[in-house]
Amino acid sequence: MSELWPLFLRATFVENMPLSFFLGLCTFLALSRRPETAMGLGLAMILVLGVTVPLNKIVYDAVLAAGAWGWAGLPEIDLSYLSLIAFIGVIAATVQLIEMLTDRYLPAVHAAFGVFLPLLTVQCAILAGSLFMVERQYSLAESAVFGLGAGTGFAIAVVMLSAVRSRLAYADLPAGLRGLGITFIFTGLLSLGFASFALMAAE
Amino acid sequence: MTARTPLWPILTDPLLRQNPVTLQILGICSALAVTTSLATAITMCVSLTVVVTLAAGLISTIRRHIPDSIRLIVQIVIIASLVIVIDQVLQAYFAEISRTLSIFVALITTNCLVLGRTESFARHNAPLPAMTDAFGNGLGYSLILVIIGGLRELFGQGQLLGRQVLPLAEEGGWFTPLSLMLLAPSAFFMLGGLVWAIRSIRPEQAEVPEHMPPRAEPAE
Amino acid sequence: MAGFDPLNPWRRLLALPNETRMKTLFVAFAVSAVCALLVSGATVLLRPIQTANRAAEAQARIEALVRGIPGMAPILELSGGTLSTVVIDLEDGAAAEGVTPATLDEALSEPSNWTALDRGADLAGLGRRPDYAQIYLLREGEDVSLVLLPVSGAGYNGRIDAVLALRGDMNTIAGMAVTQHSETPGLGARIEEPAWLAEFPGTETRGLDGNLRFSVARGDASSAYEVDGITGATRTSNAVTQMIRFWLGPEGYGPLLAAIRRGEF
Repeated sequence: MSELWPLFLRATFVENMPLSFFLGLCTFLALSRRPETAMGLGLAMILVLGVTVPLNKIVYDAVLAAGAWGWAGLPEIDLSYLSLIAFIGVIAATVQLIEMLTDRYLPAVHAAFGVFLPLLTVQCAILAGSLFMVERQYSLAESAVFGLGAGTGFAIAVVMLSAVRSRLAYADLPAGLRGLGITFIFTGLLSLGFASFALMAAE
Repeated sequence: MTARTPLWPILTDPLLRQNPVTLQILGICSALAVTTSLATAITMCVSLTVVVTLAAGLISTIRRHIPDSIRLIVQIVIIASLVIVIDQVLQAYFAEISRTLSIFVALITTNCLVLGRTESFARHNAPLPAMTDAFGNGLGYSLILVIIGGLRELFGQGQLLGRQVLPLAEEGGWFTPLSLMLLAPSAFFMLGGLVWAIRSIRPEQAEVPEHMPPRAEPAE
Repeated sequence: MAGFDPLNPWRRLLALPNETRMKTLFVAFAVSAVCALLVSGATVLLRPIQTANRAAEAQARIEALVRGIPGMAPILELSGGTLSTVVIDLEDGAAAEGVTPATLDEALSEPSNWTALDRGADLAGLGRRPDYAQIYLLREGEDVSLVLLPVSGAGYNGRIDAVLALRGDMNTIAGMAVTQHSETPGLGARIEEPAWLAEFPGTETRGLDGNLRFSVARGDASSAYEVDGITGATRTSNAVTQMIRFWLGPEGYGPLLAAIRRGEF
């Protein structure tokens, strides 16, 4: 239990997915022009990551890992090389399911997500969450906490960027720097700021 | 005779005029993380170019038979399979680099660049133009990555491809490495700078301002 | 006409409009089958090469490690330049019966050849420990003058694999090489830098009372039992400390080292 809170903080701030690992940048940059869209994206990320990482952990342990088929008398089978396709399948199914459920039972939440939910099926950050979980051999509880933390970190970063970008729209910039250029430079500054967390919560 | 789509512009457009990274904002996701050294950057570029070219070829070959309802998942499955094969090849022959790249080779699967090209170009064109377009985009992506990777390794460690080019101060030389280059922010700054440079060379790529500042009084 | 028969159903399938259920199922199956073949084929073909390369890499690191130990190179020349290797049983601290370096991988793929560790004993965060390990020795006549022990532990970002070399007294470290890790570049990853590893030779592991006292210090080393820590990489440094303490302790190579010291090996 005592390890979970530092893990959450690490996933949110120190190992921030877009700012420290460059994951999920396409959606991060494309959907951060306005704070409203950014909030919707952030919420969707928290939900999808918080659900898919532990779910993929269960799938990995039950089907893919070496020795997972021991109960059926086939302990030598190691299907871990299929993890990529399996995880994507699980993520696609989860996203679809979440969309259907929120549309039916929580229409307000569904409206808040907007059109971002289906976009997240092929988002690098979502897949990366599951891949990190395998690489670092997290337990189920750690997977859930890591997923929630990673999603929260993404949400914080994208909302911060959108707040600044909505004001950068009024800035008088050189033509070549407008839009994408200044966004990259500012994201770099944000990333520099988040890097200071690494020293605070040093290993 | 059907009109032959000229292949040369398809190949060279993505290099500067339609660079996937700096103009179309595609493919940055997993790219910047691997540019701390030139060797990993080059490996990533080669892997992505191979995957996108083969994927475009395969998808283009079966393009007339993909039902619309499953088109996205079919493309993803093909791309994922190619990525797994490439990953296995890397683990077999370039184990060291494969370890440094860790999950980023696997992330080529969800790389917007690959999916973007197959979805927009390969699905509507014959195999040869599709593969040429994919290869061109791979080259455009590689150009950016190699520049950033090279600069980061050069200024962050004084090395290029592992060989010491700038003599380190602690070994009697004059160069003190800029550790910032090894951290994430430097890649962002460089990318911003590259975008600025490209858009200064080709002003037609610059974005239209969202709000025009109110015009000051005409000059006296 | 008769010659077209085998191709007819194929052509008919392909000619179906894309949105029909039949076609959708067919395409889905066909794509999955081809991809599965591709992936499985590649994996099966490449797996032996991957294992061979990993083994070759590990071997090269071990040789480099021994050559890098000050004073060891001439001794190595004298003994003919090769290390003898043996698979040992960790519980007994003696040579394993029935398991050779060639059959080691096979033996370790059986879950019964691993021992689960309870939390108190599991210093290195491994969860379970293999019952067999392949070590390398250098003998001078009857005595063992150098032993190379593969060790592993849970690092900050993944598993750390290393090889620890001990001198003939089974107490002083002769050197260390890190063969695999996933630590943070610039911080924890510095454990593979020659500059840091060069501090290990000469470090003692056990105090006069026989207790393990080795550790990676926070900051500079202050005793013969410590090596300098890495700034900003406390967790990785702690992981290395715990890893070495575990493997030199009773659950790791402790019985083996005791046997060698008694001259029974």
